Amino acid sequence: MLEKALEVICIRCPKGCRIKIEKKGENIKIEGYECPLGKTYAEEEITNPKRVVTSTVRILGAIHPRLPVRTLYPIPKYKIKDVINALRGIVIEAPVRKGQIIIDNVCGTGVPIIAERDMERVKE
Amino acid sequence: MKDVIVIGGGPSGLAAASSLAEKGYNVAIIERKEELGGILDQCIHDGFGTKIFRKALSGPEFVDHYIDKINKLGVDVYLESFVKTIDVEGDLKKVICISPKDVNKLETRALIFAVGCREKTPFEIKVGGTRPAGVYTAGMVQRLINIYGILPGKNVLLVGGGDVGMIVARHLYLEGVESILVVYPEDFFVGLPRNVQQCILDFNIPYRPRTIVKEIVGKKRVEGAILTKVDKNWNPIPGTEEFYKCDSIIFSVGLVPYTGKLEEINAKIDPKTRGPEVNEFFETSVPGIFAVGNLVQIFDYVDDAVESALISAEGVEKYLAKVPKRTTPIKINPGNNVLSVIPQRIEWEDNKDIISFFRPAITIKNAILELTNEKNEVLKTFRRPFVRPSTLERIKISRKVVLSSKEVFLNVRESS
Repeated sequence: MLEKALEVICIRCPKGCRIKIEKKGENIKIEGYECPLGKTYAEEEITNPKRVVTSTVRILGAIHPRLPVRTLYPIPKYKIKDVINALRGIVIEAPVRKGQIIIDNVCGTGVPIIAERDMERVKE
Repeated sequence: MKDVIVIGGGPSGLAAASSLAEKGYNVAIIERKEELGGILDQCIHDGFGTKIFRKALSGPEFVDHYIDKINKLGVDVYLESFVKTIDVEGDLKKVICISPKDVNKLETRALIFAVGCREKTPFEIKVGGTRPAGVYTAGMVQRLINIYGILPGKNVLLVGGGDVGMIVARHLYLEGVESILVVYPEDFFVGLPRNVQQCILDFNIPYRPRTIVKEIVGKKRVEGAILTKVDKNWNPIPGTEEFYKCDSIIFSVGLVPYTGKLEEINAKIDPKTRGPEVNEFFETSVPGIFAVGNLVQIFDYVDDAVESALISAEGVEKYLAKVPKRTTPIKINPGNNVLSVIPQRIEWEDNKDIISFFRPAITIKNAILELTNEKNEVLKTFRRPFVRPSTLERIKISRKVVLSSKEVFLNVRESS
């Protein structure tokens, strides 16, 4: 019996193949990919699709009021909104270094949120 | 006296400046904003650097690599500075730039323009109706959200199906607008398919193809828009008008190179790219004045913009060393099914391969890219599994292939 069928656009390279995926039990049928990267992407999309999430948090004492942050690795797609919500209310004090951990293990994903850039402390 | 002044502290300008400073040249950068980084400071999403660094970095992470180099090399940086005048006196170029603090008069032998492009406004695409508050361009909104933490409104209409529009639609959705609709006149999104997937389809953001804004509605603040369906030539279809309620309208309808200062010094502009004409080392029609990055051609990838900057740095070295040029340059023209091509001419005595970027005019599978000469002889062919207007193509041309031609043409056709 057909459990799941998807049509996705591959995000691995600019070509953007349109891939059809059908999952029946352990059996995954994939059509339309033009390279191995596309096949792996399609397999991941039907089993556990993942994305890097990027957003900003409030920062005090820096050149701008927002600090860009992201998940260090891709996290499950269904947790994107949870991660965004977890960033609300976070306030960081400058200075911040690129790669600095802002939240450890965000939303139980095992993945930290990191700062995307340095932000120095500026004089008031 | 500087060897080279770079105008613009975005990724292309920083790449050109750091490459030349590393080789020992005396370099200065003039930047309009309060910090280096250009547009990438607001491009907080990932996907930059897949060609250069082989990983998907965020915009700030990508550009930090070059800012770090500039700082370590001790390059002179003029921040919050705007170039007022440029005087070209042969080999000597005089630049006057102004900042809130002072006026700086600089002298240099070579000059690199890396000033990028600006967003087209709704006025340029002839949108009717009123002009209330709540009308934005997409880049402005990206800046409001990612730098200042401000949403433009609650119920948003986004016009344009390109990459910038799609990425901003995702920001708006994730940062919490109540509703969003994307409209565009084409049959489908024109940006990269990967952005269609990860910005639009991933979040089920609603969109309407073949739809445009006929009129903006609202007195003080946007109250909505009159949408209309268009045919394949983008002509409105009568009777399809519909009022759509929203409080903000965001236009993401294309980018235009900033050529004002170049035009003041009489650099030739290519009507097809709308940027300056350049040779194979990104020198404009004015000797010693170079142009790189999105000013020359709107690149799909910052990696390619950076490549143009690194090539220009080699050109600056040649210019400073007075390497001779050919007596007559070889012209490169867009041929069949090609919208535009850079460089527009080959003119240095050199043996390096030529990197060319061009935009196809049509979408075809199994494409053949053909380089022909003025006698319509085929000089070289390249194959591509797929080409389309929204994807800029890059090819490497061996110099000996074109050296005996007066003019070459770049064509695209279907494989027979």
